[in-house]
Amino acid sequence: MRFLVPAALGLASLAGPLIVLYMLRSKRRPERVPSTMLWQEIGEPVSSAVPWRPLKLTWLLVLQLVVLALFVLSLARPFIAEATVLGPHTVFVIDTSGSMAMAGRFEQAQAAALDLAEDVSEANLASVVEAGPHPSVRIAFSSDPEAVAEAIRSLRPGGGAEDLSTALRLARGLAAPDRETSVVIFSDGGAAPLPEEPVVGATHLVFDDHASNLAISGFDAEPSTEGTIRVFVQVENHGADRRTVEVAIDIDGLPAGSTEITVDGLSAAQRVLPVPATPGSVVTARLVGADDALALDDRADLVVGGGADRGVAVVGAGSPFLTALLQSTPGVSIADADEADLLIVDGGPLPEIDRPTWLIRTETTPEGIDLVGLERNLAVTFARPGDPVLDGVDLSETVVAEAQHTETLTWLPLVSSGETPLVLLGEVNGHRVVYTTFDLTHSNLPVQVAFPILGANLLQWLGGGDAVSVSTEPAGTPIALLTPVGHRARVTLPSGDTQDVAPDAATFFDTDEPGVYRIDYVDAEGDVTSSDVAVRRFVPSESSGPSREIVGAPAPGASADEGFLVREWSPWIVAAALALMALEWWVGHQRPRFRRREVTA
Amino acid sequence: MLLDPRLRAQLERLALGVRGRVTAQWAGRHSSTRLGESLDFADYRPYQPGDDYRRIDHNLRARLGIVMVRQFEAEQELPLDIVVDLSGSMEMHDKATSARTLAAMVAYMGLASGDRVRLWAVPGDGVRTEIQGPAGRHLAAWPLLESWLESRPAGGGASLRPLGRRLAASGGAVVLVSDLLVEEWRGVLDGLAPTAGGLVLHVLSRQELYPPLAGDLDLVDSETGTRLAVSMSEEAVRNYQKAVEDFALEASRRSRRAGLDYLLVEAGPDAAERALEGLARREVVR
Repeated sequence: MRFLVPAALGLASLAGPLIVLYMLRSKRRPERVPSTMLWQEIGEPVSSAVPWRPLKLTWLLVLQLVVLALFVLSLARPFIAEATVLGPHTVFVIDTSGSMAMAGRFEQAQAAALDLAEDVSEANLASVVEAGPHPSVRIAFSSDPEAVAEAIRSLRPGGGAEDLSTALRLARGLAAPDRETSVVIFSDGGAAPLPEEPVVGATHLVFDDHASNLAISGFDAEPSTEGTIRVFVQVENHGADRRTVEVAIDIDGLPAGSTEITVDGLSAAQRVLPVPATPGSVVTARLVGADDALALDDRADLVVGGGADRGVAVVGAGSPFLTALLQSTPGVSIADADEADLLIVDGGPLPEIDRPTWLIRTETTPEGIDLVGLERNLAVTFARPGDPVLDGVDLSETVVAEAQHTETLTWLPLVSSGETPLVLLGEVNGHRVVYTTFDLTHSNLPVQVAFPILGANLLQWLGGGDAVSVSTEPAGTPIALLTPVGHRARVTLPSGDTQDVAPDAATFFDTDEPGVYRIDYVDAEGDVTSSDVAVRRFVPSESSGPSREIVGAPAPGASADEGFLVREWSPWIVAAALALMALEWWVGHQRPRFRRREVTA
Repeated sequence: MLLDPRLRAQLERLALGVRGRVTAQWAGRHSSTRLGESLDFADYRPYQPGDDYRRIDHNLRARLGIVMVRQFEAEQELPLDIVVDLSGSMEMHDKATSARTLAAMVAYMGLASGDRVRLWAVPGDGVRTEIQGPAGRHLAAWPLLESWLESRPAGGGASLRPLGRRLAASGGAVVLVSDLLVEEWRGVLDGLAPTAGGLVLHVLSRQELYPPLAGDLDLVDSETGTRLAVSMSEEAVRNYQKAVEDFALEASRRSRRAGLDYLLVEAGPDAAERALEGLARREVVR
C-alpha cells in the first residue's frame, strides 16, 4: 500500500492530545443524594486534587483512537496500483458496424467498456469514439464514470461498415498535451488490415464470436414488361451447412407473399418474384425463422421507383442548352406551359409563381430579392459546401459576363461571386423557386460538364425529376436534405423514432440503422408540406462477421506507470470512520443500563 | 389522608404479632410479664396466708397432701412505640411520605387491637433529639395521630440512639420506620431490644436501590452536606448495589438479634400495601 499524501500521516500525533484529554479529570457535577454513607463503602471514591488520573482504556477511547487513525489514513490517501488498460487519458474506440451485431459481440464489447468505465476518475480520464460508418466523438476528457458509461450505453450496432481509420484519427485528435493518451479498440477488427497498422499506442480487445448466418445480400425491384413490378432477392449463407429459409415479402407493411429458398453452405441463392407494388410502395423482404447469429441482415427494404415523367415547360427566350438539358434528364418530359408541373422562365417579365419554377434573370426579381445593379466579368468564388444540389458539380472554371447584383435576406445563395449571388434558392407562394441572376448564354456554364448535372439537380430539387426517386444506399450513408426555405426537416427512423433536424442542416447522418427513412419538411406552422423517402441497407460484407486482430504498438516514451490504475481506499476508509463515529456517539451518549438486583424483601 | 378506607378496613382485622411478654399498666390482650386473672393457667405455688381460697387446687392437695394455689397468666395492654425517622435523608425521593404512611399503618393496626400506641419522630426540636407525639388506645384517637403524622415536617440531621435506649426499657413493642442511613445505625439496632419485640421497617427509595447515575459526580450528603467524589462507572454502581445488599442483610440480621422483625420497603405510593403484604407473609401481622 502506498500513499498519495504521506505527510498527512503526521496528523496521527493528534492521538497524544486525545489521550491527554482522557487523563485529565473532568469537572465533577454535584449530585445530592440522601446519604453518602453507602457510597463510601464501594471502594473507589475519587477525591484527589491532582488533575491527572491514570489512563484507563475504555471502549470510547479505543473507538476515538480508531476513528482518528482512519481519518488520518484517509487524508494520506492510501492506494494500490492495479494493472489496467486505462491510462491517464484513454480513448474508447467502440466498433458499431454491422458485424458487431453478430453473436453478442457488441454486447460483450459494451460490457467490457462499461467495466473499464467504472475506473474512470480525475486521474484516469476517458473519451468515447463511436467507430461506425461515420465515426464521432461521443464524450471527451470525462472524469465522470457515469457520463462515460451513459455514452457507451447509448451506442448501438448499425448496418454499416466500420471506418476504423477515421475513428483512430479522431482518437489521436483527442490526445492532450499534458496527459498520455492511449487508445483501446473494442472491435472485431474488420476484414482487412488498417493502413496505419501497427497502431501506435492502441490496444485491441477482440470480440470475434462467430455463428452461422443467413443474410439478404441483394434486393431490388424492376418494372416487368407486363407492367408489374418484380423483385429480386438474394440470400447468402455464411455457414457451412445447407439451409432452407422462407423469404416473406411485405408491401407497405402488409404481407404480399413468400417463397422458400434453399442455400448451400458458403454460397448464395436468388429468386425473382412478381409483386403487386406500385411506384412509391415500400417493399420489404424478411427471412422467416432464420434463427441465426445476425438479425440485422435478415431484412431488406426498397421503395419502388419509376412512375410518370414530370412535365417541364420553358417560357421566355429559351435556349438550345435548356432543351438539351430537359431531353437528357431522366424522368422529365417537355410539356406545354399550361400542363407543366414545373416552369423554366428564361428572361422576360416575372410571371405569377403558381408551381415550382426556375427563373433565369427575369426583368424583375421575385419577392425577397432586391436588384441593386449589374456586375460584369464574374468568376465563381463560392459554392455552398455540402449542398446536395451541388453534388458532383464543379463550377471552378465557370465565368459570367454579366449578372444582376442582388441582395436578399430570405433566399439562400447557392453559388456566388464575391458579394454577387449567381444562383439562389427560395420559395414563393409556397413553391420552390430557383433564381439565376445571369443569362445562361452570357456565361460559359452551358458548355461545361457541370451544367447537365447542376440542371438535373435543380430540377430534382424543384420536384421535376422522377416521380419516385429514392436514395438507396448502404447503412451509414448520409441522407441529403432538400429543406425548403423557412422549413425544417423531421426524420422518422426505421425504428419509428423521429428526429428533428437543425434548419440549416443539409444532410442527415444518423443512418446506421438499416431500413426506410421518411423525411418530412415542416413549415413554421408545423404543417408537413412535402416528404422524401430514403432507404439504407445492411452492408453485405458485414454479414460474414469478419474478424481479425489489429496489431498495436507501444507509444514511444510511455511512462513506466502506464497501464496501472490508482485505486484509492479513502472513500471506504471515510465510510468506516463515519460508521465508527456513529458507534462512538452511541457508546458515548447512551445512558448506562446496568442489571438490577432485587434486594427488597 | 394517610390511609384509604379500604386499607383501614383491612387493618382493623389484623394485629401486630408480639414475641415476648409485655409490662404495662392496664389490662389488655397481650401476655404480661406478671401473673394475673386470665383463664390461662400459668403455674403453682405453695399457699401463703392471704391467698384467695378459690385458687387452692384441691385435687392436688388430695393426691399429694400439699396445699398449692393455681396461678394464671396476666393479660395487659401492649405499649406500642412507633418511631418515624423524618430526617433529611428521608426527605428525598418521597421516603418521608412513605414513612408516615407506614407508621400510620402500624398505628392504626395497634389502635384497632386496643394497644397503647405512642408516636415518636426524629429529629427533634433542637433541645431534644426526638419529639413525642400523641398517644391513644382506641380508634377514636386515630384522627389525632393521623393529623400529627401528616403535620410533621421532614429535614435535618437525626440521631436515633438516645430514643432507642429510652424505648428499650418501655416494656412494650417498638416499631422503627427509617432508612437507617446514619453512621450509628448498628448501635441503634443493637441497643433497641424492646421487651415485647417489634419491627424495623427499612425504607429505601428506588433511586437508592438502583442509582440512575453516570459520569464523574460530586455526591452531596443531604443531611451533613459532606461531599464525596465518585466516578460513576459500571463497576462503581455494581459495588454500590452490593453495599446496599450487604447493608440490608446486616440490618436484618441485627434486627432479629435484637428481637425485631425486619422488612425492607421500597418507598412509593403503594408502600403500605406492599409492606402489609410482606408482614403478613412473615406472619408478623395476623
